[in-house]
Amino acid sequence: MSPTVRRNLTGLLWVSPWIVGASAFLILPMLMSGWYSLTDYPLLKPPVFIGLDNYAELLRDERFWLTVKNTAVFALISIPLATLLSLALAALLASPGLRGRTWYQAAVFIPTLVPLIAAAMIWFWLFNGDYGLINRLLGAVGLPAPNWLGDPDWAMPALVLTSLWGVGQGVVIYVAAIAGVPASLYEAARIDGLGPVRRWLRVTLPMISPVILFNVITLTIATLQVFAVPYVLFRNERGQRAEGYFYSMYLFDNAFVYQKMGVACAMAWMQLLVVLVLTGVMFVASRRLVYYRAG
Amino acid sequence: MPAGDSTTPMRLHVSGASGPPVAGSVHGPPSHDWPALTRRAALGLFAAGGLGFALVGPRGDRGAHPGRLVLDYWEKWTGDEGAAMRTVVDEFNASQSKIHVRYLITGTIQEKALIAISGGNPPDVIGMYAYTVPPYAEAGAVLPLDDLAPAHALSLDDYAAGMRQVMTHRGRWWATINTGGTMALYYNKRLFREAGLDPERPPRTIEEMSAAHERLVRKDGAGKLQRVGFLHKEPGWWSWFWGYHFGGALYDPAQDQYLADRPPTVRAYEWMQAHARGLGHVEVERFQSGFGPYGTDAQAFLTGKVAMVNQGPWLANQLVAYAPDLDYGVCPVPVASGLEDERAPVGLIDTDVLMIPSSAKHPEASMEFIAYTQRPQVVEFLATRHCKGSPMARVSDEFLAKHPNRGVRVHNAIAASPRAFVAPTTPVWVELKNVFDMAVDEMWKGVAPAATKLTAVQRQSTTILQNYARLQVRRGDGGAAHGAAVGGPGA
Repeated sequence: MSPTVRRNLTGLLWVSPWIVGASAFLILPMLMSGWYSLTDYPLLKPPVFIGLDNYAELLRDERFWLTVKNTAVFALISIPLATLLSLALAALLASPGLRGRTWYQAAVFIPTLVPLIAAAMIWFWLFNGDYGLINRLLGAVGLPAPNWLGDPDWAMPALVLTSLWGVGQGVVIYVAAIAGVPASLYEAARIDGLGPVRRWLRVTLPMISPVILFNVITLTIATLQVFAVPYVLFRNERGQRAEGYFYSMYLFDNAFVYQKMGVACAMAWMQLLVVLVLTGVMFVASRRLVYYRAG
Repeated sequence: MPAGDSTTPMRLHVSGASGPPVAGSVHGPPSHDWPALTRRAALGLFAAGGLGFALVGPRGDRGAHPGRLVLDYWEKWTGDEGAAMRTVVDEFNASQSKIHVRYLITGTIQEKALIAISGGNPPDVIGMYAYTVPPYAEAGAVLPLDDLAPAHALSLDDYAAGMRQVMTHRGRWWATINTGGTMALYYNKRLFREAGLDPERPPRTIEEMSAAHERLVRKDGAGKLQRVGFLHKEPGWWSWFWGYHFGGALYDPAQDQYLADRPPTVRAYEWMQAHARGLGHVEVERFQSGFGPYGTDAQAFLTGKVAMVNQGPWLANQLVAYAPDLDYGVCPVPVASGLEDERAPVGLIDTDVLMIPSSAKHPEASMEFIAYTQRPQVVEFLATRHCKGSPMARVSDEFLAKHPNRGVRVHNAIAASPRAFVAPTTPVWVELKNVFDMAVDEMWKGVAPAATKLTAVQRQSTTILQNYARLQVRRGDGGAAHGAAVGGPGA
């Protein structure tokens, strides 16, 4: 055995746990789900090939479009808001001369460490129409107290607010990116007479734009898969509320509640396709907006 | 091999080669004195760990009962209900020397049972919900009991007439029942007295219940609700059944046809919507948001925020635990005027069932255990401990005399009633129910008129039934049974 072959075999041996794991738990399930999406598979019976019927059925399904609409609206509102908020917080935290920066960063980041279900339960009680702290505060300053989780018109704003609770991860990444912007650029901008706002817009934003693109893409993927928080807030023993029904929840219901694994797999592949298309669009659109430093 | 080659560091730390670390490597060795770990030593450590796990790691207790056949029984009951069932299991194990049953409490049992059965590794006996009988039976996931049960002197005739609707599906026997679950109206006698209502004369008709509700409503000075007589959505677990109390039904099993848009059902939900409108859609939602969950002393019936609730017999367990002084009465859920008949109350049966998965390895032994749980004295013990009615056609005087639930006779009467009904016996009921629940929520909030929402429910539900029937035909099983839906009137 030649040294090269031996070296490659040794390498493969040491990465084999990952290869086996990825094959068994990622690649194979993906291939199987692709096959199941073309079958009628009620779990308790073997799958039967039905072609593209699951996809066609979904396109005619009112609940599918309801969950698509809810998910799209949520994404359209929460992604820009979360991005703007995390950039604003990062700008504040990166301000020169800020005292206690580490503490503020920790305070912003800690919410992302709270398990999703626990956070959702906290919000469930904060939003309570009768006893909730938010309504108590609104009432104390004379503002109307909406029934956040009970009123269909307030469900989406409530969910968007909960999503903003977890911007800490993005903030930390932005702060690190801002710290990496060369000081010489700011000096040059200052010499050119740019004030703080224009320095932020003309120097900081272009320099951290690759990080913004990365964050927006990951945020988009996570937002399109929103599940746990609306599951806690809008589903109880009385049933599911239409205004809080999202794509991944319907996918889960099809798989494990309605025993329609074929339909669930079709939904998963459609979701993957949408994420891929959106990511591609963002990459194309970013060519003129994102600045990559040479080298 | 050149120094600094990317594989060099690995060979330094974990390799069969000997020799000193290469100084100056980019990924060079750490500056401590740990002994080098050879590949052989690493593999040896892995092997030793695996061997140790195999020798002293966790293991089942199947071997702890030599000479006995060990059966696994999955059940959803926890707390006091679980403890009572465990007593039954323990007494069964002590009663004979051939079988040992392991009582395994299983949360979210529907999903786990589905995965275990589809994976070919099910328990021997499984405690499920009534609505799971049709889908499991039609999928062949559970065994029919027609041949197994008679060998243990069990007969469908032993059970109350209403209960047989749950136990059978398309003419075959699939499940047994330990404790009877029927829905009745629980009402607070003290609040009735305070409102000038006769606590010994509960409402019998929908109209009487609405009138009682009006008398029981209390608001504070700002117009905020403090108490109501009744809310369809408290607890709201069976929001779909009101059409039955108006003389209708939601599903015709003979035609495999949904009936959500039929006049009795529309009338029922117009009444519900008027009820919510009368309280104020926004205000009633605010009021409800302050209710504690079931299983706590903050639930609305226990705190007196709601004077009448539609509930199962298990509510008595909550009353015993959290509000032993609450003076309550129980009566059948009222019906629309003109439909009342005291000898044949209308009521939903929603109960727990025992089934044997079709791939269970020892069906005879599983049946022997189930048969033990169906002995009259065992059923009455368990039903008493659960505060529930009996599923049996006959009960002992002692059972009725000593039962902790004041409404046990009402629950038993519903179980025996020819007008008792069960959830639609279609395998896709869970999906249909979710569609209906979402519509009820929107009707309750006044999003759209009841008739409009029910028309949409009918359309969606018919599509679901048709899709299921079409797939069954394509599979070649059950096609004849579902043919009606494909070309049925809803098409």
